[in-house]
Amino acid sequence: MAVTTDSVALNEWVPCGWLGQVPLGGQMDTVIFGQKISITRSDDDCYRVETLPEDGSSGRQLPVQTRYCCIFTTLGEAKRPLPEIAEFDEPDRRVTGCGSVGVNTSPYRLVENFLDMAHFSFIHTDILGAPDRTEVLAYKTEHRKDVDEIWAIDCTFYQPAASKASATGQMTQYVYRVMSPFSVMLYKNVHCDPTRNDAICVFIQPKGETECLAYMPMAIVDENSSTADLIDFQQSIFLQDRVILENQRPALLPLDPTYELPTRADASSIAYRRWLKAMNIKFGIYEKQAA
Amino acid sequence: MSLEQDRWTGVGLDRQVQAASSNPVILDGQALALWRGEDGPVRVWEDRCPHRGMRLSFGFVRGDTLRCIYHGWAYRTDGQCVEIPAHPDLAPPKTICANSYPAESRYGIVWTNLSGAGSAALPDFGADEGWEPVRSIYVDRPASVVREALHSFDFGDVSEVRMNGGSAALVRVRSGLEILFAVQPVSDGKTALHAVAKGQGVAGRRADLARRLERLRATIERA
Repeated sequence: MAVTTDSVALNEWVPCGWLGQVPLGGQMDTVIFGQKISITRSDDDCYRVETLPEDGSSGRQLPVQTRYCCIFTTLGEAKRPLPEIAEFDEPDRRVTGCGSVGVNTSPYRLVENFLDMAHFSFIHTDILGAPDRTEVLAYKTEHRKDVDEIWAIDCTFYQPAASKASATGQMTQYVYRVMSPFSVMLYKNVHCDPTRNDAICVFIQPKGETECLAYMPMAIVDENSSTADLIDFQQSIFLQDRVILENQRPALLPLDPTYELPTRADASSIAYRRWLKAMNIKFGIYEKQAA
Repeated sequence: MSLEQDRWTGVGLDRQVQAASSNPVILDGQALALWRGEDGPVRVWEDRCPHRGMRLSFGFVRGDTLRCIYHGWAYRTDGQCVEIPAHPDLAPPKTICANSYPAESRYGIVWTNLSGAGSAALPDFGADEGWEPVRSIYVDRPASVVREALHSFDFGDVSEVRMNGGSAALVRVRSGLEILFAVQPVSDGKTALHAVAKGQGVAGRRADLARRLERLRATIERA
């Protein structure tokens, strides 16, 4: 697999491992954008990431940050900082990493799936959606130019079991936030406390154009569920999505709105695709073959 | 405009496509969904929902509509989208249409033509009656090799092998049995064969014929 030459993609921060994945004094190899990299851990929170050139020559040291239960790095010149997600600093939150899950599709298909409410009733039946309550009510999308993020606000959807803590169905309020081409998160109202939101993220490590690892750190308000239960809930939802994600054709994301036809419920996906097109990203994008 | 050859190719046995089911098939590297409503004929569509690219062979059938598993969008037998569950009160625009190909059932085989024009004639081996489905086999060899093998394989005293434009072969055995093969190129190195047979006592010989097809595959793959 060749390393991408797309500087737009290379200039983003991406996760390359979860905290605890590399043992103290240990080492782990992985891949980002087709580039093999090596992660070594010399101390509790002291990681070194460097490229592993195919020809065996010595690698280039890459920038490292650890946040949101993940190790982040970049192959280029990062144009934006890691996002600020204040909920992860609130002391009473359950902050959980959930590890990573491999998905064979383009990173953008993953982001779009996460932004999408219309599939809840079909793919997460009786959990995040009910078969007889499929309507997606109008919501707003915005491109927040100060932070260069895409937001979807005023989203609502009826959910039979919105989270591990839910005992009954509820109209769940969502806010979605796309922080980079490879990271997305949501805020959803908490069952027991209407003033607070659970924060659930997906940070994507693009190993190649159609090969990803997804990390799902979350900061949850839930005093009762065990950490294992929280992770189990999140992973079981994600595995339902993976079957879909790996069977979309093409796996690369088409940006031409006549090739894949959206409807009103796809407003967030439309805004996301426009944003990707405007930044002229090429990695993982489907270019229609000339007829 | 399609660059596909204007040719009818058999892509499955009609009887294999159950009522209210959608099934994946690959023809010349193109992913197709073969689906049937609760009754009625088999449809051959591109295996891709025009909404977000989900494979329609994962879809489910309700009445005479195929629904995409991802968001439940419902498509009528002519491909037109007729329902978007996210917006129950919205009449889907006419532009939302699944890409369908011509589909014909003849001799118990489902035939399709991936070229948009579709002016070629269906393979003609006489009357449609009397053909019994035998089975399909999938061979790890290119279609050219499989066609060649149909000429030389021992079906038991062959009197004649007649090809029809490369997509079908009729094997006449002296005992009065006729075996019709539809040759479906799957990819460069993989071919499907769909076999039906006709003649006296054919129903009772189905198991024997199916075993012969197993041997045919083994012979081709050994060579």
